[in-house]
Amino acid sequence: MGAEGILFVLPYGILWLLFLFLPLVFGFYISLHKWNPLVGNVFQGFQGYIELFRTPRFWNSFWVTWRFVLFVIPGIIIVGLLAALALHAKLVGGLFESLFFFPYLLNVSIVSILWGLLHDPDVGIFFQYLKQLGIATTPLLNHEFWALPMVAFTTIWWLAGYRMVVFRAALASFPAELYEAAKLDGAGPIRTFFTITLPLLKPTLLFALVLTTVGGMRAFGQVILMTAGGPGTASEVLALYMYRVGFEFLDFGRAAAVGFILFLMIFTLVMILLKFFRLGSELK
Amino acid sequence: MALRFTQKYSSARISLSLALWVVAFLWIFPLFWLVGKTFTPNSEIIREATSLLPRDITLENIHTVLKKWPFLLWMLNSTLVTVGSITVMVLVSLFAAYSFARIPWKGRDFVFVLFLSSMFIPWEINAVPLYFVTKYLGILGTRPGVFLPISAMPVGMFLLRQFFISIPQDIEDAARIDGCSSLTILVRIFLPMTIPVIGAVVIWISLFAWNEFFWSMISLQRSAMVTLPIGLKNIMGSQNIDYGGMFAASLLALLPSFLIFLFLRRQIIRGITVSGSFR
Repeated sequence: MGAEGILFVLPYGILWLLFLFLPLVFGFYISLHKWNPLVGNVFQGFQGYIELFRTPRFWNSFWVTWRFVLFVIPGIIIVGLLAALALHAKLVGGLFESLFFFPYLLNVSIVSILWGLLHDPDVGIFFQYLKQLGIATTPLLNHEFWALPMVAFTTIWWLAGYRMVVFRAALASFPAELYEAAKLDGAGPIRTFFTITLPLLKPTLLFALVLTTVGGMRAFGQVILMTAGGPGTASEVLALYMYRVGFEFLDFGRAAAVGFILFLMIFTLVMILLKFFRLGSELK
Repeated sequence: MALRFTQKYSSARISLSLALWVVAFLWIFPLFWLVGKTFTPNSEIIREATSLLPRDITLENIHTVLKKWPFLLWMLNSTLVTVGSITVMVLVSLFAAYSFARIPWKGRDFVFVLFLSSMFIPWEINAVPLYFVTKYLGILGTRPGVFLPISAMPVGMFLLRQFFISIPQDIEDAARIDGCSSLTILVRIFLPMTIPVIGAVVIWISLFAWNEFFWSMISLQRSAMVTLPIGLKNIMGSQNIDYGGMFAASLLALLPSFLIFLFLRRQIIRGITVSGSFR
């Protein structure tokens, strides 16, 4: 029996080792080297990390990433939750659900091209209206402050529908008796929401918080395609910085270090959130 | 009194739902705009940026894209990458999940938690080492080089194990007494019951693989095996900006997702509610 059990796990285990575990360990190994496969790799210990911590551009990306996450998380969760509540209360129907959900099915290139064009100074209807209203003179994606929030907004547009579906499923699973009791007690919709729905929804909400945080910290495609990290480095998130250090500056050791730092950031954050909110049981 | 209350309440409901519909149409407006511009001649796109509908409807943009770029090859590559991810993930996950759920062996639960915890390894950060790993394996820049890492994610294994655990032990015991092996039990008894869960896994992994960007971009840098998202990126980055072409390419790339959504809307949404804890 025992041998059979291991045999059954083996195919997946090999894939996992090769493509998930090995890269993680290997990435750490690379990060301890001056990595140049052509000339030879030189071990340098944590020197690469120390140099990274002295690089202003790294810290810029670090804070840009956090700002991005702070824009995206409340956006996705609030939009997703409101849409789910509206559906659950039968204020709107299936078409509404489809309209909000559909952007999630698009790939990041479609989303970025579309929103990039909406902001485009020559053809973008969004920019044209802002200009006519006298709000914007430069396209927002070229704006030192607005570039990042606009990419974040696009991300919300792209992903909020997914949260809506998840939240709606949670809402549908709550016992109807509780709501009937609240109705008999004369509680209005707002009071019902805060005394019944919100406490029941807490685990789902917190789990969504963890997952959108992880998702937000990994953001890459929409940033490189919409702003290329610009103007300057105003919207250069960590994943983009990592990509550039590795595949543009060809400094793979340092890129791996950025990747490993990103991994540690996300992993500790997730562990803290899971422990703190005791969400571990959700996984069992 | 009571009547007036309900009336007020329902008129509040009506105005609320009207407001919600307005928001929903604004939400989806960019896609209508995309459709309109795809059929607008390039000169008009620039001249009349604020108009919503084309004055002269044209297919010129779509023609240009299909002539200038190997669009159908990109679609084929995306399809093969997606099908590859699905096949490999479902196959290996079925066996692993059965073992984790039903066959006791030493260290099993530890290995399971180890596999599962990798769900929090952010996909993108493995890209640099994965580049070298696939290079050493000789699959860098090939379709398997793109989809094998995708199919290694623990989603399928986890969801299937959850389901297998819920199958009553009696069913399996009865089969064992009849002399069935684990393989027979898995294929003959578990598999037919598992189809809906496999469906959810397939939906999850299809969405991921079809839309995957970061790893494909790195892996396919010098390759002709470009997938749809990477192809679109190449159109975007090409020297001469062709606005009409970008609109048309986006609309063409969106079409498969739209058609599948049209026919499988229920299944996709239900699939997501099953695998909702993975994204």
